[in-house]
Amino acid sequence: MRSRATTALLLLPGLAFLLIGFLVPALAMLFAPPGTATSEIFVRLGEMLVDPFFLAIIGRTLLLALIVTLICVLLGFPIAYLLARTTSRWSGVLLALAIFPLMLSNVVRTFGWLVILGSNGAIGKLLTTLGLVDQAPQLLYTPLAIVLGMTQLFLPLAIITCYSAVTQVNPGLDDAARGLGASRGRTFRDIVLPLSLPGIVVAATLVFAGSVTAYTTPYLLGGSGNRMLATQLFTYSSVTIDWPGASATAIIMTVLVFVVSGVSSLVGRKGATA
Amino acid sequence: MNTRHPVAATLAVAGYIVMIVPILFVVATAFTDGETLSFPPRGFSVRWFGEALSYQPFVGSLVTSLEIALLATVLALAVGVPVTLAIHRGALPGKGLVENLFLSPLIVPELVVGLALFQQLIVTFRIDNWPVLLIGHTALLLPYAVRVTGAALAGSDASLEEAARGLGASPMRAFWTITMPLLRPGIFSAALLSFITSFNNVPLSLLLQSRKTQTLPVTMLDYVQQSYDPMVAAISTIILAATIVIAVIAERTVGFAKIFGGING
Repeated sequence: MRSRATTALLLLPGLAFLLIGFLVPALAMLFAPPGTATSEIFVRLGEMLVDPFFLAIIGRTLLLALIVTLICVLLGFPIAYLLARTTSRWSGVLLALAIFPLMLSNVVRTFGWLVILGSNGAIGKLLTTLGLVDQAPQLLYTPLAIVLGMTQLFLPLAIITCYSAVTQVNPGLDDAARGLGASRGRTFRDIVLPLSLPGIVVAATLVFAGSVTAYTTPYLLGGSGNRMLATQLFTYSSVTIDWPGASATAIIMTVLVFVVSGVSSLVGRKGATA
Repeated sequence: MNTRHPVAATLAVAGYIVMIVPILFVVATAFTDGETLSFPPRGFSVRWFGEALSYQPFVGSLVTSLEIALLATVLALAVGVPVTLAIHRGALPGKGLVENLFLSPLIVPELVVGLALFQQLIVTFRIDNWPVLLIGHTALLLPYAVRVTGAALAGSDASLEEAARGLGASPMRAFWTITMPLLRPGIFSAALLSFITSFNNVPLSLLLQSRKTQTLPVTMLDYVQQSYDPMVAAISTIILAATIVIAVIAERTVGFAKIFGGING
């Protein structure tokens, strides 16, 4: 096991898969799409960044991702906190219920919203039956539907990331603060929250990156009026076969994810040393 | 859940509703006797399950999904576990760099990876969709194979193997009697996680599909777009039931939180 030759042999098959199945195509796509000069991609990228249609797509993608991130942290952290601190005999079941959706297909999970928000759906039916409105309001194919769908998808990720952060905060610190006379709210604000902050930053990053690149939700719940980067990338690559457009969109998406991850790891490092 | 934290408890209830209630609606509409997706469902019937299971595109794509998920899992472990061994036990300069290289498929958006493979392997090199789908899924699963199995090795001591070798065990014997038992729970977790990740994948499968090669989630997305009947609810309920079975197995063997806690940390 210790020799270099053995180590190289162990690495080789994995490296081959990584190169052929990921690294080489990913780099080649940026510089050499089929029958396209590299310059075309960057010309296209420049055009996109001044095109109001495309800027609206980038703006919508960023705004919805930001809203979803805020909601997921706002709902996910309390769930993680209560799960970590509760002594209820239901805690195991509740934890399992929060993690289980991660294993379930995105398509299946998103599909439920069609039944709830659709024109014959539960909410429309309820409102018209109660006589609150004459006609069911348009809920499906709206930004609201996308936000609901993505919140459902990414909340478990936020919970499990916050959960591992909160479980690392010694509950003895809570007790000590309470014993010294701090209120529950103050203990939460001054002890639990700052100590779990790095975990919250990681959770927010994962949710934001996931939302910026999500395809299933905007496709099923956003309709053609609420295009996002992911649905637009698919249109370029598989409907209009516009390679420069697809590559340029892919570059924008990748840069967004990298910038957010980079900023968050900087923030995380600062938080750790502060 | 907890009455001492009223605000947190209210937010938590809202969170659980958003996560769970849509899934219940899927199940409820699957058992309808009516012709369309509407709520409340009309009557009770299991006929849409029969329809879904005899609808050729669903059955065909289910088989494709299972084949790809199974083969990609086996391949990812077959090439990924040796990489883990090289990282944690081998003579390797720059271990951290190599590990990060194998985790890199996690940070690039999957849709971008799908586009890259489509352009470069299918359009440029004219490789068939099916093998490209398998290669793509395998590359996507490599981080799980390397990271999740590695966690077990990182937490254990290489001196155990050295002791076995010192006592006269052959390298193979030392591997099978010392290293392998250490790896086994990690391999099981990685296999489970990999299979589910591949089976549920949309971005790669979407961009690498052809008329002959389509996975179940992509077929379902297409179907919803053209038809509004409860067949997708029925197939979704079947997937839900199968996922619950896998989840129970996971919980009973390694534990949920362990499996899903490992990949982001």
